[in-house]
Amino acid sequence: MTPTTRSAPSLAARAASRATNTSERGSGSRNGRRRAVGLTASALAAALALAACGGGGGDGDTGGTGGGGEGGGTVTVWHYFSDDNQVRLMDEFAAKFEGEREGVTVENVYVPYDEMNSKVIAAAGSQTGPDVVVFNGAETATLALAGALAPLDDYWADYEDAGQFPDSVIHQVEDQTYAVQGYVNLLGLWYNAEILAEIGVEPPTTIEELEDAMAAATDAGYSGITLCGLPQGQGEWQAYPWLSAEGFTYDAPDAAALEAGLARVRGWVESGWLSQQAVTWDQTVPFQEFAAGGVAFAENGNWQMGTAESDARFEYGVVPLPLGADGQVYLGGEGQGIGAYSQNPDLAWEYLTATYLDAEGQLLPVEIVGSIPSRSDAAQDEMVTGNELLQPFAETIETYGANYPSPAIPPESVGDVQLTVGQAWSAALGGQQSPADAAQNVVGQLERLGG
Amino acid sequence: MTSQLAPTAAQSARAATGGRRRGRGVSQRRVRLLFLAPAALFLLLFSLFPLLQLLRMSVSAVTARTLNAEWLFTGLENFRRSFDGGEGTDALLRTGIFVLVVTTLGMLLGLAAAIALRTRGRWSAALLALMVFVWALPPVVNGSVWKFLLGDRGLFNMIVLELGLRDSPMPFLYSQYWALMSVAFVNSFAVIPFNALVFRAALMNIPPETFEAAALDGVNKWQEVRHVMLPSVRPTTLVLLVLTLVYGFRSFDFIYVMTYGGPGTATNTLPFLGYLQAFARYDFGLGAATSVVTVLGVLILAAVYARSIRREEAES
Repeated sequence: MTPTTRSAPSLAARAASRATNTSERGSGSRNGRRRAVGLTASALAAALALAACGGGGGDGDTGGTGGGGEGGGTVTVWHYFSDDNQVRLMDEFAAKFEGEREGVTVENVYVPYDEMNSKVIAAAGSQTGPDVVVFNGAETATLALAGALAPLDDYWADYEDAGQFPDSVIHQVEDQTYAVQGYVNLLGLWYNAEILAEIGVEPPTTIEELEDAMAAATDAGYSGITLCGLPQGQGEWQAYPWLSAEGFTYDAPDAAALEAGLARVRGWVESGWLSQQAVTWDQTVPFQEFAAGGVAFAENGNWQMGTAESDARFEYGVVPLPLGADGQVYLGGEGQGIGAYSQNPDLAWEYLTATYLDAEGQLLPVEIVGSIPSRSDAAQDEMVTGNELLQPFAETIETYGANYPSPAIPPESVGDVQLTVGQAWSAALGGQQSPADAAQNVVGQLERLGG
Repeated sequence: MTSQLAPTAAQSARAATGGRRRGRGVSQRRVRLLFLAPAALFLLLFSLFPLLQLLRMSVSAVTARTLNAEWLFTGLENFRRSFDGGEGTDALLRTGIFVLVVTTLGMLLGLAAAIALRTRGRWSAALLALMVFVWALPPVVNGSVWKFLLGDRGLFNMIVLELGLRDSPMPFLYSQYWALMSVAFVNSFAVIPFNALVFRAALMNIPPETFEAAALDGVNKWQEVRHVMLPSVRPTTLVLLVLTLVYGFRSFDFIYVMTYGGPGTATNTLPFLGYLQAFARYDFGLGAATSVVTVLGVLILAAVYARSIRREEAES
């Protein structure tokens, strides 16, 4: 079983939902702010459930006893956040738990993103490691298969709020639950409202409108769009919406569709709308470029709200990525799990239930980072429903939301597939390979990997 | 009797002295071994053991699932896979180009800097201090600074654009043709201070009388370099050449920070390919096989280095 699997009824329901919503968007919802704010909460709850994976729960054979005892102790939390807002969130979580549990200390430990998995796995090899791991939820299989995460099934079975969480945020590997997401992150299309007003265009709802707007912005002396073209997982995450918009999926990889997706975005580079320098950008740099001004659009995530608020000196907004009928946007975010060799797994679970999984705790990422709560009750809070910038992301979940990683990818091949597609994306944008060659190469590799 | 006794006593005395010498020799050997033990233990634990583990991993099927379990022996399968699809061969070729650029620039500019800084003085000392600072900078910091300098709005492109040499920025890090050269150049820049310091130390050992004699013979600056300095630093050059080759061969940090192997795979050298295979694909066996090839290259160079060191010691 894959970490996140989508059931057939979910797909059908989502397709129906997408059809309904496409007509809504076509009828004039251009910037996402015009629709009733109240839609956000219901859309979030419904869409997360619709884009769901196979059911949670199950009978774990290991794990803690639930509950946890009283008294002091230290919870070591490994995370890879370096952004100021995200670091502040970790500090706030620590303060919240320490305030609620006398004598408990939370020790947040920064581990660079690219080193997180190897360090957690290496630590497990020597039967040590953190109490709590905050990691890329898409890589649950890598950590779980290496025996670096403790199964959460027993805790989850006893957790009274488990029903608040949609299946799409519960990460399972081979029928065991290893991580839960406290929030959802996804991509949208950020736009510079002042540039769009100057060139006289509305935020785009179709890919053709987006390309027309980028051409107009470039003619007016601005850059068209920023995105991440790094040859690794981050690149694949940002590439997938555009590739899927041309019909590419991991269920049935089609070289022609992939080539079309790569060729379209390579065309943006050749037209001067997108800097070829994107192949050296991770997801942080292109948003900083956008926030500095002079760029019409940025493909980036809801977690950039804090950065936009602090750095952007212009009017801005967000719309769903204009991906047509076939497009998909990954529902990502960090997974939270308990280390397999945690000294105090019960205390670690208490930390999780008091912070990431707690209704009140889930509002901290909304306030500080701009992430979308995964609990259905937290998603209905005024802080979420009253935030206009979150609404387009909620609409995206409903319209384009896709499990991350694709359930079609075997768990042990997730890293390989992400790297292969990320490299092809970078090679096409950077001109190292033609879109046709890059696509052929990827499809060949996917066949080998069984994706 | 006396005549018989005398030699016996002498023999006994010699034997006693010899025994004491032997005893002292054995004890000295023990002391030496005792002093050697910590370093030997350290090397055993942190060099030999990981190397043996790497070798074992390279001939086993090791993935995320099996890393902390039993490793299945697969012979040379990982080596075949690494080079079968052309990925390893391409990386080997790039590594060769990379090493060539790093070694050539690192050696030539290191020597040039050493010659320029041969004199003692305030400016020379200040420049040397600056070079030591550059050398001591962590590669991640150094690489990040260079990534900024080589960007579209970085110093180099600002100069190029301001001078009207080009209409568009130079694609230092995002063109498949420029990227490898740019990273190799930055790697060279990082090794120049070390090479300059070593070359300078060798140049400072040349007796002043040699330069005086050369001056009396009427040599110009270039002849001074060609006929006095270069022959004097030849043993150092050989040692430094091997060290720079090894440095270039195992370079990883700057690629990781500046291009992550991109665009596409344009800057994937052997060490970086090994990293991707092990820590992005989680195929640790495959990554280990690629790394073993890298280690073999370094070991060959290390053997040359050891030989040249021995020869230099013998000559001196």
